[in-house]
Amino acid sequence: MHSTKKSGKSFLNQLILFIAIAIPWLIGAIYINKTKSAAKSDSITVVNFQRDKAPKADHSKYAVLQQDFKSPEGVTAACLSCHNYTAGDIMKTAHWNWDRDYVTETGDTIKLGKKNILNNFCIGIPSNEPRCTSCHIGYGWKNNQFDFKDENRVDCLICHDKTGTYKKFPSGAGYPVTEETVSDGVTYFPPDYQYIAANVGTPGKDNCGACHFTGGGGNNVKHGDIANEMKQVTREVDVHMGVDGANMDCVDCHKTHRHNISGNLYSIASTDTNRVSCSMCHTEIPHKNNILNVHSKKVACQTCHIPQFAKVSATKMSWDWSTAGQFKEDGSYKIVKDSMGNVTYHTMKGSFVWEKNVSPEYQWFNGRAKHYVIGDKIDTSEVVSLNGLEGRYADNRSKIVPVKVHLAKQIYDSENNYLINPHLFGKDSTAYWKNYDWKKAAQTGMDSVGLPFSGKYGFAETEMSWPVNHMVAPMSESLQCADCHGANSRIAALNDFYLIGRDRSKTLDYAGFALIVFSAFGVFVHAFMRILGKNKK
Amino acid sequence: MKKSTYIYRSFERFWHWSQALLIFFLALTGFEMHGSFKIFGFENVVRWHNLAAWAFLVLIVFAVFWHFVTGEWKQYIPTTKFIKAQVDYYLTGIFRGAPHPTHKTVYNKFNPLQRLIYLGLKLLVIPVQVITGIIYMTYIYPNESLHVEGLGNIAILHTFGAFLLLAFVIAHVYLTTTGDTPASAIKAMITGWEEIDVDENEERLKNLHKAVDKSVAGYYRLGANGFIEDVNDAWLGMYKCSDRSKVIGQHYNITRDEADLSSFTNQLNQVMKGEILTGVTVRRKCMDGSFGYHILSANPVYTEGIISGVEGFIINIDQKEESREYLYNAVKDSGAGYYRLNSDGIIETVNDAWLKMYKYASVAEIAGKHFSITRPVTEIVKLEETFAKVIQGEIISGALAIRICKDGTTGKHILSANPVYEGNKIIGMEGFILDINEEFAL
Repeated sequence: MHSTKKSGKSFLNQLILFIAIAIPWLIGAIYINKTKSAAKSDSITVVNFQRDKAPKADHSKYAVLQQDFKSPEGVTAACLSCHNYTAGDIMKTAHWNWDRDYVTETGDTIKLGKKNILNNFCIGIPSNEPRCTSCHIGYGWKNNQFDFKDENRVDCLICHDKTGTYKKFPSGAGYPVTEETVSDGVTYFPPDYQYIAANVGTPGKDNCGACHFTGGGGNNVKHGDIANEMKQVTREVDVHMGVDGANMDCVDCHKTHRHNISGNLYSIASTDTNRVSCSMCHTEIPHKNNILNVHSKKVACQTCHIPQFAKVSATKMSWDWSTAGQFKEDGSYKIVKDSMGNVTYHTMKGSFVWEKNVSPEYQWFNGRAKHYVIGDKIDTSEVVSLNGLEGRYADNRSKIVPVKVHLAKQIYDSENNYLINPHLFGKDSTAYWKNYDWKKAAQTGMDSVGLPFSGKYGFAETEMSWPVNHMVAPMSESLQCADCHGANSRIAALNDFYLIGRDRSKTLDYAGFALIVFSAFGVFVHAFMRILGKNKK
Repeated sequence: MKKSTYIYRSFERFWHWSQALLIFFLALTGFEMHGSFKIFGFENVVRWHNLAAWAFLVLIVFAVFWHFVTGEWKQYIPTTKFIKAQVDYYLTGIFRGAPHPTHKTVYNKFNPLQRLIYLGLKLLVIPVQVITGIIYMTYIYPNESLHVEGLGNIAILHTFGAFLLLAFVIAHVYLTTTGDTPASAIKAMITGWEEIDVDENEERLKNLHKAVDKSVAGYYRLGANGFIEDVNDAWLGMYKCSDRSKVIGQHYNITRDEADLSSFTNQLNQVMKGEILTGVTVRRKCMDGSFGYHILSANPVYTEGIISGVEGFIINIDQKEESREYLYNAVKDSGAGYYRLNSDGIIETVNDAWLKMYKYASVAEIAGKHFSITRPVTEIVKLEETFAKVIQGEIISGALAIRICKDGTTGKHILSANPVYEGNKIIGMEGFILDINEEFAL
């Protein structure tokens, strides 16, 4: 009787003990479940985002625009007759000057930009102006004598044409054609300036894309994350620009003040200023799960949200100039295409590698970049970096960013050990695309930048880093933890810090494993001997 | 002697099992984060691990508080004593079925190896895990205020701690099976109760001190060299001394007249040889120079198996005129048995301690009976003589008596007896009895 009472009471005690232990776990489980469902919700925070698509003025009503313009400069003059400060604003921008201040390693501030920088696509602009400057927002930059102070040379229409009929001719130094002309199978018509001027407006994707989607001489060659198809993609490709997504225009993010358009592309930019960031609209803490938010201190949004680029058309991943100049037996251009129709060899340019659905490489980046300045000595025993993104783990301003790395083999002076700015385009006999003589092309090209050419050349391996900022994928496509915190980490190359899940001390793991095995084995042997001892008895 | 003892208290068990679950859970989620296996997914285990870490912190705060408030932290004070014996036991003795070299008691729950290992966990491994864990949670990235250039070392330390804990858990779980039966230790940690060895000397001393502290009996302890180490308030009262510091550290010879000193020294020497004195009547010299009488008991004090002193208690017998009240008070709480007989030798009343010694359930069972029922045939005459003397006015102290209990068993006790007065007339006999433990029987 007494003992039943006691065991009944002790059962109650144990039940209470069990409940006391279980309750915190229950609370934990409920908390986890509750926060998890919130984290998976589809609501996205957007702040400070305003869009005003309504036209601000009907330009067809202005008398000054109702004239039969004979030249594009005439249109510009008419624009400036009202917008009389605008040319001044334009002339302060990199879009006009094609250069910015750059502090070299020796501490000198120089003017560096598209104008005088070397890339590893079509290499350099000096001596090739009429071709390259077809993307300049001006008229007539055909050599190094261009007058950057002439206001009438500003091309207003390339950015503000809303008719879609205004086109610069590919080798016209920024001018449209004056009579019907065919180039590369495309027919160019003289623009109807009065019609176009009556229909100007805020730049759209077509305007920006006219140059930026086809940089490097073809669709999606350079960037990889912006291309002609961005005018008409679904949100699966780009949640912002997708027509079924936010259907945004470039300038919705690239906010503009007095014609200075925000945003840097570090193939030419070098400072952490005037940048566009996701947090402008999405804040620094966009996630419900705070562990993700704290990642933003070291990981750029793009890193997780752009798992792949070049999702519609392929982009150029490497360019080998050393194989250029091979003709078919009949003397015509040798052109090879891959299964997707991408040109993988062209007599004029050499060999290319194209890739689609590319997973980016990842680099530390603090908003500053170093550049190869023409004349800098190179070490051909390693890949020459033309634009090095600055950053490292221990730098508080650095974040991991996704990057398209473009490799090339390009001509360099093997005596003077610097890269050559070759004269590719031109009607003269020294242009490479006329006579396919690298020496002559190198001589003319180097003369144009005022540097000697030794007469000896080779092909150096170079690389460029193009940060990837577009083609933001829907949430469901974002990278997951294990994509970096795992064995096959996407950021395996960033090894200047310890990353949980990816990194481990092998010595410790082996020692720890040995300790566990030793303990288990010891226990096993000990237990065995105890049983043996008992049986003996 | 094995005795079912409440050894793990409620909070202790709650803490132990919660900690066990948390360590298991933290290891499971932690090693998945580490990349050792893939079960729940990285995002889940990170969130769970962090939450469990907070829970663990809260538990630690409560546990630290509990350890200090209850004084249980003392259980973890390391000792080298018996450590070799314990190691030898696990390495060889256990296979031969040798007894455990150390014994679990409520006051000494852990063997020396346990003390060392648990202390290491509490002071080293768990703090390292907590600190590195907090750094890992707080300084995920290099940061202006504390520029941690990477958490590699922190992470490696944390992982190392995790391996140690895992190894500990394996050994710990296994060693729980080395109790009386393989499941007894685990069962004890669930229910709180365990059959453990009771250290009788420890128990007896504890009870003695408890009884003596409350009662009017005096308690004393002497060192091996005869200096007084401790006395209680009752002792001071009997010796008419108000200041304990005047006594502590003095030689015992200040408590005796020169005439009595040599017999007292002899008595103490016997005790130092291992004998036990129960109930000798002695004359004391009080601090004001007056004299008094008391019954003295003395037993050796053992330290690590060697006699290191003498202790015992004294009961005053000098105040004849107030003896009745005095005795009653003296025995009320002392654990001594009290009885009163009328002039015909009929038992009028006894106290609970008396009933216990005689194994009676209630006073009603014995009240009204003649005292001869309490003695074996051979002892009746002795008690009759004592009774006759007391009725004549004598006081008997410290007589050895053999009793016969209700169930027919016998026991030994020391007996004191004095007359009961009503006015000047003796109307009965009363006194107390002190049980003599069989172990210490003469």
